[in-house]
Amino acid sequence: MSDTSPAKRQETTSPAENAVELIDITKRFGAFVANERVNLRVKRGEIHAIIGENGAGKTTLMNILFGLLQPDEGRIVLNGRETIVTDPATAIDAGLGMVHQHFKLVPSLSVADNVFLGMEIRRNGLIDQAAQIEKTRELSERFGLKVEPQERVSLLSVGIEQRIEILKVLARGARTIILDEPTAVLTPQESRELFQTLRGFVADGMTVIFISHHLEEVMEVSDTVTVLRHGKHVATRPTAELTKDDLVRMMVGRNVSFDRRRRTKTAGEVVLDVKNLWARDERRLPALRDASFTVRAGEIVGIAGVAGNGQTELAEVLAGLRPASHGSAMLKGRDLTALTPAAIRDAGFAHVPGDRMVRGVDGSASISSNLLMGRQFKAPWSRNGVLDWDGVAKQAVEMIKRFDIRARGPEDTVKRLSGGNIQKVVLAREFTNDADFLLIDQPTRGVDIGAQESIHDEIMRQRAAGRAVLVISVQLDELLTLADRILVMFNGRIMGEVEGDSADSERIGMMMAGLNASAASEVAA
Amino acid sequence: MSDGLRAFYGQIIALAIALALGALIIVLIDESPINVFMTLVRGAFGDQSKIAGTLLQTTPILICGIAACIGLRGGMFNVGIEGQLFLGGFAAAWVGFALPLPAGLHMVVGMAAAVLAGAAWVAIPAYFRARYNTNEVVSTILSNYVAVLLTSYFTIFLFKRPGGWSETPPILPTAYLPELFSFSRLNWGLIIGLALAFFVAWFFRQTAKGYSISMVGSAPKFAEYGGIDVKRQGFLVLLASGAVGGLAGGVETLGIHHRFMEGFAPGFGFDGLIAALLANGSPIITIFTALFFGALRNGSLLLETDTSASREIITVIQALIILSVSAQVLMKRRGDSTAGERRWKF
Repeated sequence: MSDTSPAKRQETTSPAENAVELIDITKRFGAFVANERVNLRVKRGEIHAIIGENGAGKTTLMNILFGLLQPDEGRIVLNGRETIVTDPATAIDAGLGMVHQHFKLVPSLSVADNVFLGMEIRRNGLIDQAAQIEKTRELSERFGLKVEPQERVSLLSVGIEQRIEILKVLARGARTIILDEPTAVLTPQESRELFQTLRGFVADGMTVIFISHHLEEVMEVSDTVTVLRHGKHVATRPTAELTKDDLVRMMVGRNVSFDRRRRTKTAGEVVLDVKNLWARDERRLPALRDASFTVRAGEIVGIAGVAGNGQTELAEVLAGLRPASHGSAMLKGRDLTALTPAAIRDAGFAHVPGDRMVRGVDGSASISSNLLMGRQFKAPWSRNGVLDWDGVAKQAVEMIKRFDIRARGPEDTVKRLSGGNIQKVVLAREFTNDADFLLIDQPTRGVDIGAQESIHDEIMRQRAAGRAVLVISVQLDELLTLADRILVMFNGRIMGEVEGDSADSERIGMMMAGLNASAASEVAA
Repeated sequence: MSDGLRAFYGQIIALAIALALGALIIVLIDESPINVFMTLVRGAFGDQSKIAGTLLQTTPILICGIAACIGLRGGMFNVGIEGQLFLGGFAAAWVGFALPLPAGLHMVVGMAAAVLAGAAWVAIPAYFRARYNTNEVVSTILSNYVAVLLTSYFTIFLFKRPGGWSETPPILPTAYLPELFSFSRLNWGLIIGLALAFFVAWFFRQTAKGYSISMVGSAPKFAEYGGIDVKRQGFLVLLASGAVGGLAGGVETLGIHHRFMEGFAPGFGFDGLIAALLANGSPIITIFTALFFGALRNGSLLLETDTSASREIITVIQALIILSVSAQVLMKRRGDSTAGERRWKF
C-alpha cells in the first residue's frame, strides 16, 4: 500500500458523496498484471456497471474491494473514509456486501438458516428458529425478494438461490451491494425481476455495483458504466450518454491493433457439416438452437459470442459429451451425434476443451501421462495392451520442445505448470493426432500474452497443414486475429456470419448482443 | 516435494498420531505403552511360529487390501469386501465338500468358484451404480450384512454338518491349498496374495487398460473426454474388486479352515480396506500395511497373558488409525477445492 498511515481507518476531507472510491489500484499475479492503476468512483445511490471482456480484471477489482485480495498499489476509500480492507469482515463492517458468481449456500438447510448462517439469532444459547424465520420474512417483504423462509434450499431454483444470497448480504447490513455477473445463471424473466429489485435498492438510498458483459443489461439497468480493458480503466460515463456500440468500442478497443494473421486462401473440401443441430442444457432447456454451418479443410472458422450463449453445448455435442436433441454433424461423412467420444476421436477429431483443468488434463498426473490420453491403446504408444512408457517419455520430451512447454521434464506434474503451459500440454496432445478436424474451445483463456502468441502460431500452422479448425472464443480480438470466417452466437442461435478479412468488431458486437446480421450492419453503418 | 512423497509423509504422520493417541490411552489404563508395544512386537515377530502366525493373519488382509486398491484406483469405493469374502469362502467350501474332483483341479475349481461368487455378489451394487448412479459406498456396505446372514443361513439350514457347530462338512483334501511349512498352517494363499499385489501394480502402471482405469479414478471428466467409457469401466472395476474379495474368502476356507464356519473371518474385509487406504491405493505398499495389521492382530494374542491390557486395545488403535487417516484425506480435499477456485478467479 502506498498509504503511510498506520491507522486502519483515517478521516479524509473528501465528501462522502461516493460510496466507494478505488484509487490507482494495481494488482499483479506473477508477470500478469490483472489491474493496472485502475480508478473507480461509485456515487451513493446509483447502479454502477463494470463491464469488460473476460480477463479484463473486473472480478479481481471487486475481490480487492471486498478484501479477498490485497492490492499491490493503490488506496480504497469507503464512504469517505480511507480503509485498508484486510479481509471480507472489514468490508462487511464498512457496509459492503458481495454476491458471488457461484453461490455459497448449504443445500440441506432452510432459507432462513442460510440467511443467518454464521450470525445466528440465539436465545438461551440455542438458535431461535422462529426469530430467524420472522426476520427473513421481514427482509424478504421489505425488499421485494420473495422467498419462503422455511423451504429447503436444495429444492429451489437458481433464481431463488440468488435471492437468498442477496438476502444474506442485506441481513448483514450491507448498503453497497456488489454483484458478480448476477445474470449469468438466470433466465431472462429472472433477470428482469432482479433488475426490479436492484432499482428498489437504489430508491432506498443503497448503492449497487454490478459486473457484467451483457451489454443489453448494462444499458437497461445501470446509471453509470465503467469500462475495463486488459486490466486498465478505459472510461466512466453516465449510461444515458452512451449507445451500445460505444460500449462495444470501448470494451474491444477501437485502436487495438488486432495483428490479423496473414494468410493465403486455402479452403478446400468440406470436413465438418453441421445441420439444424439442437441440444439441451442441464436444466433441460434448449441451449443450442438450430445451428447449421460448415468448416472446410485449411480454414479457421471462429465462433464468437458472450459466454453462456450455447457455445459450450455446441462443443460438447460435437465431441460426443452431450446428446443432440435434433440435427446432424457430419465429419467426413460420419454423423458425430451417433458416435461415442472414442469413435469420434477415431473419426479424426481433436478437441481442446474450454474447461481445461476438468476436461483437458488430469492435473495430478505427469505430462507424459496426460499426453498419452486417447491413444493408450494405439501403437507405438502401446503394444498388445502393454504401454511403452519409455517411448511415451521420448515423445513427451519432443512435444515439450516443439510446443515450448516450460516444465522440468516429462515427469513433471501438470498442475504445477502455469495456465499457458497447461494449455500447451493439451495442444501438444491434440495437435499431434493427425486429426482432420480440430475443435479449439477458448484457446487462450487464462494464458499470458507471450504464450497466447505461440498458441496462435500453432493454430495457424494447423490451418496451413490443411486441417479444418473451429475456434470458439469469448475474446473477439482472438477471432479477429485467427478466423477466416466468424459465426456469432446469441441465445443458442447463430445470428450471422462475417468474413474474417472484412470483419467489423462493432457489427459483431451487435450480433453478440442479439441483433441479427442485417440489423447489425445497419446500426454499425 | 513431489505429490507422491507428500502423500507418503501424510500417511506416516497419520499413523504416528494414531499410535501416540493409543499410547496415551494405554497410559490412562495404568499400563506402560512401551511394555504393550514391545509385547505386541514379541507376539508378532518373537519366533518362527509367531512370524508364521503373523503372515497367516496378513494373507486375507492383503488380498482384501488388493481388492480395495483395485476399487480405489478406479474411483470406486468398494466397502463390501467383507461380504464378498464371505460369499467367496462359502462358494469355495461348497465346491470343496460337495463336488469331488481330482486333486489340484479340485482346488483350482474351488478358487474359481470363490472368485465368481465375489464378482457376482458385487455385480448387484455395480449394476445399480452404472445404471442409476446409486452411491456404491452405501449399497456395498449394506450388501455386507446380507452376505454374512445369507452364508449363515446356508450353513445352518442347508449344509450343516451333523453335530453341534454351525459349520459345513469338511472339504475334501483334494481341494486343500498346499501348506508352505510343516510347523504352521501358512499356505499358498500368501504367495497368491503377493503375486496378485505385484500383478495389480504392474497392470495399473504398465497396461493401457490399467492406465484408462486410473484416469477414470483420478479425473473422470478428463477420461470421458479422452474416449473412455467411464460407466463401463466403473462397473468392471467393481466386478474385479469383488472377484478379488471372493478370492480372499476362498484362500481362507481352502487354506486354513478347510470348511465354512459361520462368522469365520471377522473384519478382514474392513482391515484390508484400511490397509489399502493407508497405502493410498498402491498394491505394493498394501503388502506392508497389511503386514502391519496382521502383526497387530497376531501380536495382540500375547497382550492378554503378558500385560494387563486387553487385546481390544488393538481395536482402539485401529480405530484411531482410521480416524487420523480419514482426517488427513478430508484435509487434503479441502486444500484441493480452494486451489481449484483460486485457479480460475482472477
